[in-house]
Amino acid sequence: MKTNLFDIENWREIGATLSRNKTRTFLTAFGIFWGTAMLAMLWGGAGGLEGLLRRNFNGFATNMGACFPQRTTMSYKGYNKGMTWQLNDADISIIRRISPYIDLSSTMGFDGATIKYGTKSNAGRITGVEGDYFKMQIPVLYDGRLINSSDVSQSRKVVVLGKDVADELFANESPIGKYVSVNNLYFLVIGVAGQKSEASIGGRINQSAIIPATTMRSAFNKGDKVDFFVYTARPGYTPKDIEPAVRRAVIANHPLNPADKEAMWFMDISEEFKKVDYLFLGINILALFVGVGTLLAGIIGIGNIMWIIVKERTQEIGIRRAIGAKPSDIITQILSESMVLTTIAGIAGICFATLVLSVADHITYDPRLGSAHFQLPFFHALAILITFLILGTAAGIIPAIKAMRIKPIEAMNDK
Amino acid sequence: MIIHLEDINKTYHGAVPLHVLKGINLNIDRGELVSIMGASGSGKSTLLNIIGILDNYDSGEYILDGTLIRNLSENRAAELRNRMIGFVFQSFNLINYKNAVENVALPLFYQGVPRRKRNAMAMEQLERMGLADRAHHLPGEMSGGQKQRVAIARALITNPSLILADEPTGALDSKTSQEVMEVFRQLNSDGMTIVIVTHDPGVGQQTNRIIRISDGIILPDNV
Repeated sequence: MKTNLFDIENWREIGATLSRNKTRTFLTAFGIFWGTAMLAMLWGGAGGLEGLLRRNFNGFATNMGACFPQRTTMSYKGYNKGMTWQLNDADISIIRRISPYIDLSSTMGFDGATIKYGTKSNAGRITGVEGDYFKMQIPVLYDGRLINSSDVSQSRKVVVLGKDVADELFANESPIGKYVSVNNLYFLVIGVAGQKSEASIGGRINQSAIIPATTMRSAFNKGDKVDFFVYTARPGYTPKDIEPAVRRAVIANHPLNPADKEAMWFMDISEEFKKVDYLFLGINILALFVGVGTLLAGIIGIGNIMWIIVKERTQEIGIRRAIGAKPSDIITQILSESMVLTTIAGIAGICFATLVLSVADHITYDPRLGSAHFQLPFFHALAILITFLILGTAAGIIPAIKAMRIKPIEAMNDK
Repeated sequence: MIIHLEDINKTYHGAVPLHVLKGINLNIDRGELVSIMGASGSGKSTLLNIIGILDNYDSGEYILDGTLIRNLSENRAAELRNRMIGFVFQSFNLINYKNAVENVALPLFYQGVPRRKRNAMAMEQLERMGLADRAHHLPGEMSGGQKQRVAIARALITNPSLILADEPTGALDSKTSQEVMEVFRQLNSDGMTIVIVTHDPGVGQQTNRIIRISDGIILPDNV
């Protein structure tokens, strides 16, 4: 066939062939539609699920670690097991000096607090942090500024209110520049901040009053005590690499048995992220398997239908060949039909999947956390369509070639 | 001479080999109206298929309008069929979802003739066959005689050197058969070479020469 794309007869023939058996065409098209839709939904859905989980860690450094003092489990140097101990400034100073792998770090302290403004009060908590804290857990800054290293070094009596605390105390009024009472001490409000995601270390920012760690210790008689220590590893290292230096520094300063691993608990956020990565690797592999299965089912469907179409049209193929159609003309015609069916049904499938994903994205949208990205990127959609097109066309080649092997005269006499 | 067959042999290799054409020698001149007659299984259809390049022969030599027909590729065979031969079949062999114009124009489609031009040419052929008013009807909406005239129009559309008709009146009543034969005689009088395979003596008598074939051998001419 002289395949002139602009020759309407080509398209009329394709349309006529496909519309002759509407039920069969519909069922085949539905197979392709469902195959592409499933594949697109799996691909986009896996991405959305990942986004749904990952957005809970928005603003959270993925290479963060923390060290928490625990009760001892071994006696040592006359101290019984079960002893409690606390980190202190000396420990932190040594840790920071001897560990080459620490990038950012902050001591943290906690206490319950009553925060008052005028006649309103909030029963919340205070958190003492250093300047790097907000680089490790990036908050949403609603107003003002965050605590910086000058606030810490000068032990300024400044506070960043959590969003919920600020809303409760100030309603629609701006708290910036106002003084609030925290456990009967007055602090200047310099900012209002909130969580970027669900994850937090040391309590949710929204329900806290955050002050400089140094101020907390001096104002609330904490001495040199540190509740726990958070840090991030330098690029190329993990929080696990920092643990030995921390242990060494702490054991040098405290009567802890070097073999007592339970006396310190190390949290390694990177391990949690790794688990999430593995989980989604598994989900992606599952999606791939299901997708390939769906794809194969769709392709087999196309192959079957093309086989039936070719069988039904054997006589017509014979007539066409008798009057001058070359084998390539016939093959092109059959494959054109397969391609048209695959393209139309495939595009419909992708449109349907996009609609479903869009609904899922709308339902899971959170104004604070944002979209979970239940989306199918354009190039993924194109890849699915092209894969179906190539495999769908390939599935039509076998019946078409078989049809070519029949002599024209035998084909014409086919009943 | 348009057809020259020399010592053509053809055997079908089934469970039992069947030697259907045994040293066929045949010459047909340009402008002849010839019928090939014989009983079922005599080899007349096989001979027509070989002449029409729809089948291969095992040995011998076949020259069609100066072109040696031997071991042709499928593409070359299709091209020669399209340009040199017009086929008319007993069961019309029209494509049932195409109307008369589209059926007639189909051979031109394979020559890459633009749609408007090929449809105009098809209309001319249908007018010549007296079927202008049926041009946009589907085969299912036409009588047997009309279908056969559409098939003849399709055979003529590429202005071939030769028309091959395989039992062209086999599915028609006697009156319609006469009409179809009248069309063939008219075409022949215009100079067209026509070869008709038939087992109907009435059809044979209306041709200029009858070639009788029996058991794969051509009997001496009796016309």
